[in-house]
Amino acid sequence: MPGIIDRLSKRLKAYRTPGYYKKYDYHWTMVVDLDKCNGCAACVVACHAENNLPTVGKDECGKSRAFNWIRIERYVEGEYPDVKVKFIPIMCQHCDKARCELGCPVYATYHNQDGLNVQVYNRCVGTYTCATYCPYDVRRFNWFTYKWDEPLDQQLNPDVSVREMGVMEKCTFCIQRIRVAKDKAKDEEREIKDGDVQPACVQSCPTGAMVFGDLNDPNSSVSKLAKSRRTYRLLEKYNTEPSVIYLKRVMDGSSKGHEERHHV
Amino acid sequence: MLNRRDFLKLIGLGGVSTGAGFVLKEAMEPPVAKLIPYLVPPEDTVPGVANWYAGLCTQCSAGCGVITKTMEGRAKKIEGNPLHPINRGKLCARGQAGLQVLYNPDRVKGPLKRVGKRGEGEFREVSWEEGLSILSGNLKDLTNRNEAGKLYLLTSALRGHLTSLLVSFMDSFGSSNYFQYELFNNSNLIYANSVTIGSGAIPDYDIANTRLLLSFGADFMGTWLSPVRYARSYGDMRQGRPGVRGRFVQIEPRLSMTGASADEWVPVRPGTEGILALSIAYLIVEERHYRGADAKRWMDMLKRYNPDEVAGEIDISVRKIGELAEEFVEGGPSLAIGGDNLASYDNGIGNLVAVNVLNYLAGSIGHKGGVLLNGKDKTFKRKSVPYAQLTKLGDSALEGDIETLILYNTNPLFTAPSGMKLGASLENIPLIVSLSSFMDETTGMADLILPAHTSLEDWGDDFADHGAGYSVATVMQPAVSPVFDTKGVGDVFLALAASLGPGFKKDFPWRSFGDFLKDAWKKIYRRNRGSGIKERSFEDFWSRLLAAGGWWTPSPKISGAVNLSVGKASSHIPSAAAGFDGDSDKFPFFLTVYSHSAFLDGRGANLPWLQEMPDPMTSVVWGTWVEMNPKTARHLSLKEGDMIRVESPYGEIHAPLYLYPGIRPDTVAVPIGQGHTSYGRYAKERGDNPLAILPPRVDTRTGALALNSTRVRVFKSTRSGKLVKMEGSARELGRGIVQTVSNKEFKKMGKEA
Ligand code: SF4
Ligand code: SF4
Ligand code: SF4
Repeated sequence: MPGIIDRLSKRLKAYRTPGYYKKYDYHWTMVVDLDKCNGCAACVVACHAENNLPTVGKDECGKSRAFNWIRIERYVEGEYPDVKVKFIPIMCQHCDKARCELGCPVYATYHNQDGLNVQVYNRCVGTYTCATYCPYDVRRFNWFTYKWDEPLDQQLNPDVSVREMGVMEKCTFCIQRIRVAKDKAKDEEREIKDGDVQPACVQSCPTGAMVFGDLNDPNSSVSKLAKSRRTYRLLEKYNTEPSVIYLKRVMDGSSKGHEERHHV
Repeated sequence: MLNRRDFLKLIGLGGVSTGAGFVLKEAMEPPVAKLIPYLVPPEDTVPGVANWYAGLCTQCSAGCGVITKTMEGRAKKIEGNPLHPINRGKLCARGQAGLQVLYNPDRVKGPLKRVGKRGEGEFREVSWEEGLSILSGNLKDLTNRNEAGKLYLLTSALRGHLTSLLVSFMDSFGSSNYFQYELFNNSNLIYANSVTIGSGAIPDYDIANTRLLLSFGADFMGTWLSPVRYARSYGDMRQGRPGVRGRFVQIEPRLSMTGASADEWVPVRPGTEGILALSIAYLIVEERHYRGADAKRWMDMLKRYNPDEVAGEIDISVRKIGELAEEFVEGGPSLAIGGDNLASYDNGIGNLVAVNVLNYLAGSIGHKGGVLLNGKDKTFKRKSVPYAQLTKLGDSALEGDIETLILYNTNPLFTAPSGMKLGASLENIPLIVSLSSFMDETTGMADLILPAHTSLEDWGDDFADHGAGYSVATVMQPAVSPVFDTKGVGDVFLALAASLGPGFKKDFPWRSFGDFLKDAWKKIYRRNRGSGIKERSFEDFWSRLLAAGGWWTPSPKISGAVNLSVGKASSHIPSAAAGFDGDSDKFPFFLTVYSHSAFLDGRGANLPWLQEMPDPMTSVVWGTWVEMNPKTARHLSLKEGDMIRVESPYGEIHAPLYLYPGIRPDTVAVPIGQGHTSYGRYAKERGDNPLAILPPRVDTRTGALALNSTRVRVFKSTRSGKLVKMEGSARELGRGIVQTVSNKEFKKMGKEA
C-alpha cells in the first residue's frame, strides 16, 4: 500500500512540477506586451467570431453574464488632469497549476498533453466550482441555451461546438486552430513551426501586442519575448504558473500598487 | 509589393481560390435549401475544409484588405489579408463584425414598395422586375419631359470602379447631380495639406519611426484615417526598435481611446488646439531652432501666439507650452498630427494648417519619423466637401429641383445635424429610391427599396488613399452566394441602362458588374504591364489579382524640401478659438461628440457583436451615455447612472451619466452612433442621437460640418434608462494587475527589455 501512495504522490509531483512540459512536444504560450496594447477590443470581437460566443443583450450583460472569453480591463490612475490609463487583455491563463482543475467533480476541466487547460463540454455538469476556484474570473456559464437570430447562425464556426445550457466555458487558446496546424504538420511529417498557430485574438491584434507560440521551441517568438526583463505573470503570488506572460507597461509615475519582483 | 514567393505563401496559407465564389454562386443553391448540401460538391469545395476569398473591408474608408473563410458555401470569419500593405493581416473590431452585416437578420430581404404614408414604414414586397420597371419608367418619364437633370444620386464616398460606372450612367442619362456624403471624411485635412504643403494626397505619417508624437485630437487607433495601420505603427513606435521607445503626448479636451495610451494628456480648452500648435511653433522660431532665411518673418507672424498671451485662453501653463516646444525639437524625429476632433471645429482648417506649420518649422516634413509626403493623388478626384454637397442637395430638394433621388449606402438623416432640416427637404422629392441594404432612417423615407448586396456578396474594387505609403488597389469578389433576394449596385445600374433603350444600352454593354470590373481591369493591365503583378496573359493576371486581393506598389514620395511661405500660412491659420453656439451663461458646458470606435458614424450600431463589445473607455454596452468629470458631477449633485438631459439651443437628448476622469470639467461628451430610430432590432432603443442637437455650423473656409460647435446645459432627466457597464472598479486598488516599469528602468534594461 505505502508503495502505491509513494508512487502516486511521486507522479503527482512530477505532474505538478515545473518542467512537466519538457516531456511533451509543445508548451503553448501567449505573450502580451502591455506597452503595445491600446485597448481597442479587436481581440474581443475576433474571439466572439471564432468561438461561437453568443451575445446576450443588455439585461444579461447587466447581470455580468456576457460571454467574453477575453476582456480588456481598463484601469485609471490619478485625478484630473493627471489621469493615466492602463489596459490589459485577460483571457484564461492556462495555468500549469490550474485551480479550476482541482475542484471539478467530474474532471470536465483538465490538462491536455500540450499543457492547455481544456474544458470537456459533454462532461461538464455545471457545478460552477471551476469558476469559483479560478482567480482570474475568466470562466463563463451558459445560463440558457442561447439562440442566434436567423440567419446569423450561418456564421457559426463548424470547428467549434455550440454550447448548451448548464455548461461552463472559457478561452481555449483556440485549440481548434492548434489541431488544424498539428494535422497539417503531421501530413507534412514535421513539427509545427513558429507562426503556424495564431489564435483569433492574436491574429486580429492591430498593434501586435499579442504573440502566441511554443515556449519549448527556443527560437520561437514567444521564447524570445519571454527573455525580456519586463515579464510578469498575473497574480503571480497565487503560484498558478500561467501560460500567459505579460510584459510590463512602460509608464512614469504609476503607483506601485504591487511588490517589485525579479523577472521570471 | 507582391512577389511570387509571397503569393505562393498566401496560396499555401489557406488555399485562397480565385473567383470561386462566383463559380459557387452559379453552381449551387444556398446550402440551407438542401438536406445534404454537398452530395456533388463544386470542385473547390470540400466539406470541412475552408476556402478563403480575398476582398475588401467596407466598414470604414481606410480600405483594409480582408480574407474571408468560407466553409460549405458560408462565410465563417473575416481576417486581415496578410499581404495587404494597409493592415498586414490585422483587423479592427468593426472589420471583424463585417460578417454580421452579411448575415444580419434585419437586412432588407428583397425589393419593397411603399404602401403607407412616407416614413411610416409600410412596405409591400415586389419582384425585382416590378421594382426595376417602376424606377426605369420614372427615369424614362424624366427623359421624355426633358428633366433628366432632376435625377439625383447620393452615395457614400465610393472610390473604385463602381464610381466610374455611376458617373458614366449619370452622364449618359444627362444629369450632373451625383453627390457623395460621409460624416467623417478627410476633406479638411486634404484642403489644409494642399494649401500648405502642396499635395492633397494624404501623407504617410511615420508614427512607427518617430521619437515624439504630438497628437492634436487624433484618435488614430480608433477612427482616424487608417486605424489598423496606425495602431500597428504605434506598436512599432513603442516596442519595435530595440532600446528606443517613442514618446506620445495627446492634446484634447476629452481623452479618446487613442489618447488613453499616451504618456501625457494635455486637456486644453475646446477649440484652442490650433492656437497651442502655433504657440509651440512660436517658441521654436524664437529659440532659433528654425533657421530658414524667413525666420524673422515667421517670428513677426507668430508673435501674437506668444505663450504669455495665449496660455490663458488655451487653459494651460506657459511652462507647459515651453516644455512641449523643447521636447518637440530635442533630438530625433518628431511628428505632430491633427485629427478629426481638431478638424471638426468651425476653425478646423486653420487648426490643421497650424499643425502643418508646427511640423514645417520643426523640420518634420519629408523625413523618416515625420510627415512623408505622397505624390499627387491621381486615382480619384474630389468635389466640394461632402457636407456642402449634402447642403446643396437639400436646397435643390427644397426648390423642387429633384424629381428622383437614388440613395446608396449613406444615411444623412442620421448623420446630418437636425438643424439642417434635411428630412423636410426630402419630403419634396416625388420619388426616393434606396439601394441600401438596411432599413436605416433615410431608407425609411424611400418609396422604393431595391436592396443591394453587401461586400461579401459582390464584386468591387477600391483605390485607397495614398496614406499607406503605397498605391493600393484592392479587389473584392463574392465570397458567398447572396443570402437574400438582393442585387449588386452595379448590376442594378446596368439593368437600368439596358431598360432605357438601345441608345443607352450600347454605352453599357456588360452583362454584369463583374464583367464591367474585369473589363476595367483589362485596361489597367494593358497600361500598367510591369507593375504590381506581372503575368503574360490577362487571365493569369486576373486570377493572381483575385487570389492576392489586389495589387500595390510603394507610392512615389515627393522628394526635395517643401516650402511653406509665411504668407500662405498666415492666410489660413486660426485667428481665434473656435466658435460655439449658445452663450456661456445659459449653456455652461462645451459639447464634444466623437466618432465611436465600434459604431463610427452610426453604421455599426446594428451589429450585436459591436453592441456587446464593451466600450474601451467606459466599458458600457448596448447603449449610450454622457461623459462628465466627477468633480462637475459632484458639484451638480449628479451621480453615475443618473439619467441626464443635455440641452443645446437646438434641442435635447437624454442619456445616463458616466463619470469620466478623462474629460475637462467644463466639457461633456457623448459618443456618436447610438440613437437610431430605424436600423433594425439591435440598434433600436439605444438612447438618443447627439447629432440631433448640433447646429448646422460649418468650417468658415471649407464648409465642412463643425461637430464641436455648441454649448449645452445639463439637468437630471425624468426619463428612465439604465447604464450597463462591464467594469467593476476602475481603480487597481493595489492588486498589481497592470504592472509597470518607469522609463528610466526601461532605459537601463537596454536591449533586454
Ligand atoms: S485561468 Fe482560471 S480557468 Fe484558466 S486554467 Fe487558470 S484557473 Fe483554470
Ligand atoms: S486564444 Fe482564442 S479562445 Fe482564447 S481569447 Fe484568444 S481568441 Fe478567444
Ligand atoms: S480600419 Fe477597421 S473598419 Fe476600417 S477598413 Fe480597416 S478593418 Fe475595416
